[in-house]
Amino acid sequence: MTAEPKIETDRGGRPFERRRRPGELVIRSFLFSCGVLSIAVTAGIVYELGKESLLFFQDERVGFLEFFTTSVWQPQVGGFGVWPLVLGTLYISLIAMLVAAPIGLAAAIYLSEYASQRVRGVFKPVLEVLVGIPTVVYGFFALTFMTPVLRSVFGANVVGFFNVASAGIVVGILIVPLISSLAEDSLRAVPDSLRQAAYALGASKLEVSTRVVVPAALSGIAAGFVIAMSRAVGETMVVTLAAGASPRNFTLGQDPLFGYVLNPFQGAQAMTGYVAITANGDLGYNTIDYNSIFAIGLTLFFITLGLNSVSRRFVKRFQQVYE
Amino acid sequence: MSNETSADRSIGDVIEANPTTATGPRIGSTEAVFEPPGVIETNEMSVYYGAFRAVADVSLAFGKNQISALIGPSGCGKSTVLRSLNRMNDLIATARTEGEVHYHGQNIYADGVDPVEVRRTIGMVFQKPNPFPKSIFDNIAWGAKINGFKGSKIEMEDLVREALESAALWDEVKDKLNESGYSLSGGQQQRLCIARAIATKPDVILMDEPCSALDPIATLRIEELMLELKEDYSIIIVTHNMQQAARVSDKTAFFNVKLNDAGMRTGRLVEYSPTDQLFTSPREKDTEDYITGRFG
Amino acid sequence: MSIEAPERPKAPELFPGDEEYRRHLGGRRRKAVIFQMFCLAMLSLAVLSLATLLYTIINDSFGLVATVNENDPEEIVAGLGHDPEVTGLQDLSHDQLVGLLEANVSRGVGRRLEREQRFYEDRLVFESDATWAEICSSGGSPTGCTAGPRPHADVLQLVNERVVVPDVIASYPLVSSLLDPAGFEQEVTEEFEAGSFPDHDIEQVSIEWRAWFNPTFLTTPQNSTPEVAGIRTAILGSTWMVAITILFAVPVGLGAAIYLVEYARPTRLNEFIQTNINNLAGVPSIIYGMLGLAIFVRLLEPVTSGAVFTDGVPPSDNGRTVLAAGLTLGLLTLPVVIISAQEALKAVPDSLRHAGLALGATRWQTVRSQILPVALPGILTGTILAVARAVGETAPLIMVGAATFVTTDPTGPFSKFTALPIQIFQWTSRPQPEFHNIAAAASIALLLLLLTLNAVAVIVRNRYSRRAE
Repeated sequence: MTAEPKIETDRGGRPFERRRRPGELVIRSFLFSCGVLSIAVTAGIVYELGKESLLFFQDERVGFLEFFTTSVWQPQVGGFGVWPLVLGTLYISLIAMLVAAPIGLAAAIYLSEYASQRVRGVFKPVLEVLVGIPTVVYGFFALTFMTPVLRSVFGANVVGFFNVASAGIVVGILIVPLISSLAEDSLRAVPDSLRQAAYALGASKLEVSTRVVVPAALSGIAAGFVIAMSRAVGETMVVTLAAGASPRNFTLGQDPLFGYVLNPFQGAQAMTGYVAITANGDLGYNTIDYNSIFAIGLTLFFITLGLNSVSRRFVKRFQQVYE
Repeated sequence: MSNETSADRSIGDVIEANPTTATGPRIGSTEAVFEPPGVIETNEMSVYYGAFRAVADVSLAFGKNQISALIGPSGCGKSTVLRSLNRMNDLIATARTEGEVHYHGQNIYADGVDPVEVRRTIGMVFQKPNPFPKSIFDNIAWGAKINGFKGSKIEMEDLVREALESAALWDEVKDKLNESGYSLSGGQQQRLCIARAIATKPDVILMDEPCSALDPIATLRIEELMLELKEDYSIIIVTHNMQQAARVSDKTAFFNVKLNDAGMRTGRLVEYSPTDQLFTSPREKDTEDYITGRFG
Repeated sequence: MSIEAPERPKAPELFPGDEEYRRHLGGRRRKAVIFQMFCLAMLSLAVLSLATLLYTIINDSFGLVATVNENDPEEIVAGLGHDPEVTGLQDLSHDQLVGLLEANVSRGVGRRLEREQRFYEDRLVFESDATWAEICSSGGSPTGCTAGPRPHADVLQLVNERVVVPDVIASYPLVSSLLDPAGFEQEVTEEFEAGSFPDHDIEQVSIEWRAWFNPTFLTTPQNSTPEVAGIRTAILGSTWMVAITILFAVPVGLGAAIYLVEYARPTRLNEFIQTNINNLAGVPSIIYGMLGLAIFVRLLEPVTSGAVFTDGVPPSDNGRTVLAAGLTLGLLTLPVVIISAQEALKAVPDSLRHAGLALGATRWQTVRSQILPVALPGILTGTILAVARAVGETAPLIMVGAATFVTTDPTGPFSKFTALPIQIFQWTSRPQPEFHNIAAAASIALLLLLLTLNAVAVIVRNRYSRRAE
């Protein structure tokens, strides 16, 4: 007679089985739905922006091609070219990066390669504070300090009351911590053995820092730059308060390049500024103005999405080398 | 060479199989002691990390075109001594060196001496291979450029080739000079680091346990390399592997660490002799205890 | 002193000789020092900009002002029989203040004020009882019918605004006021001589110290006259909004984080959710504002205006309410809360999870009793920091319509509202310099609030990490 294998049972004499736990299922479903909600948010953004943008483009006064190719934004008279607003945004962001990149990178190099623990403990919190100040306060600062300073340095007839330079510099200050903290983390992640090897070959500290450590940390530093750029592009309050509400309409070939189109001392409305100012006023729901802000918003969304993806790719490349 | 691993043989066998080329006295001879001129000499050197005295009163003379080995139990300060020879300890904020270290008669710790200049002629190879995240070619070219290489591109290529040949690596990498240094195996990376060090035409090469992160075959190749390099360079190596010291070095210094009255573990030089003498008839009891495995 | 290597026969032409090397070395050393100085200078520049920003705000919040009052407060107080040295306007009784209003304000204005909010619980001042009952019973009744009586601070502000009628004609920043007070007086005199103030007489001008940021500033409601305006309305608005934000973002965010860390298997869907959250964290805040405008204000107007919850007249005539703003900010902070909660949960060692599960506990039991308590301080810290960010956000609020002029305090989720950053924005946009003064004062208030929140977060983190050891 073959003995049958004894089936394991729990204390109650029942065989072990997957106990149906409805409570667990409910909880798990709830948690899952929380996670899915985030997808709903993105879907919502894309849907809403897309829907209203579609309405915008369907209006007879607006041409899809015209939006992307002409450079006059004056909705009252039918000018719907997006380039003046994009110019404003990019110009301010460019000035911001020109200010923030050297400051942020140099500060990061100093904190990582030269500073003692004590010095780092003092300066790092200061940089953290910079990023915590609300942007509207930065806007106040741009308007009440930076613009008057620029006007007194360059002359009140050269620098307008609203100007791109003031907004750009203050946005630059705002994004310095983004660059410096990511750069510093990347620099410190470079293994010390590389520095030792370089010193042993007879290199000075400058050469070790700039020709071994920084190149080794390059993708992490690049990620920081791109994140900062993305932040500058999406910045609203500083540009609204300091760069003004007039889009810099231009016609290439006709308008002087350095006297007008690329003049940093005059105002130029940015994409975010346009959206904020338009929404701030009386806004009927089905007007072309209402729809236009969604078209601009959609453009902005794709620009920042692209920049963030690039940045993430840099971070991944950096992690691959060192982890 | 037999197929047994080195661990199976005693030190004495090793010595017999690999007679060193030291010009010191053979055992039992009555010839006068003939010391080659010291490339690097330390004079009552101590190294402190803050208040902790890591190694005390070391006086040594390392010979030109010789391989000198520093051995001893862990914590005895041999790496600290090695790193003080090219002022790498300067990189540690709390480190302080007392006494003198003479390179061709000049004290490298004198006021006004720039450590960068010291490291120009005294190179170093580290325990774990640390090539730069650059191409193989750039790894070797970098040190030369930093030190003011004046030649043309062709001459740089010759320099790189020469260095790789001297490091016995040229044949393996000649077709992939533009690939990353990280694409090589551990042993190859270490040879790359050696090539990198000799590309700057140093006088002395310091090696801090260069084979401890490598497998036995790679170790063997590096040891062979060391014996070849001896003709052009003076080599000082730290090793925890006594058999290795016995195989390659001309003179060996034994360091030991003792707990002193204040409770500090300070390393001291116990004995410095030609290798075969140190391993077959050491003068000090501590040395004998160490090499016979009673401690360490 | 220099190190000489006696023989260097190896390739002497390719490497510099000792002389040449030493020359280069001096240059290399100089460059190294300059580089270090440059890096330090850049770091200092960042610190300096922070200092300059704080300096600008503080400079504009305190200083000398030249004021012209239509009715001098001291005369008013004396006229009521008190000693002006001892008593100030703020010490007068409620009845006295209302009496002043009665005497100095036109009937029409008084009625309008009373309809906004009454002065007494039990009696009317400017209106007859019959008219009042009639107005309140018809549709579209004014807020005064349901709201409580005006608090003391409000009545005081009204007296200030309408009886005293202060007009700051010039102001001086703090540093100049401290270093050169005489210069201010001179400046004002010159301005008068130049004819800049045709409406005023130089005799009436009083030069005094003014702290635009003071405790009264925090308790006084909003007003269109900068000299008497306060930020109480804005603070309450911000508080209501933040409460709604927390109520929405924390449970959902924590739930999503728990799901992603504890439950999610590495499927394509879950990876997509994670990537999605990382993307959302980088979306500019104004786009969240647009989402809030389209969905909460427009699409969900019945909900956000409260129409769904009441049968008759909805509490708000459109969706631009505290609820819509709170939900919008909730969406904004959601990714940040999720990511920081994830970090806190991931920091809990796996051994705890294994121990719980090995004892036969379900996953939720393990999470609830073992993981969450350990991760709680980190989650708390992350939430506080996320909330601090939300408090400072302006762009989404502009989109959702906090820009409407509001004087009454928010009473519930369906109230119209304003918020601190919105006030700063509005006031900064005005050209008159007094608006810049109160914008600066409001900025100080906002920064202090954020400082407190951050300090609380740091304390929470330190206290719990110490306990863990």
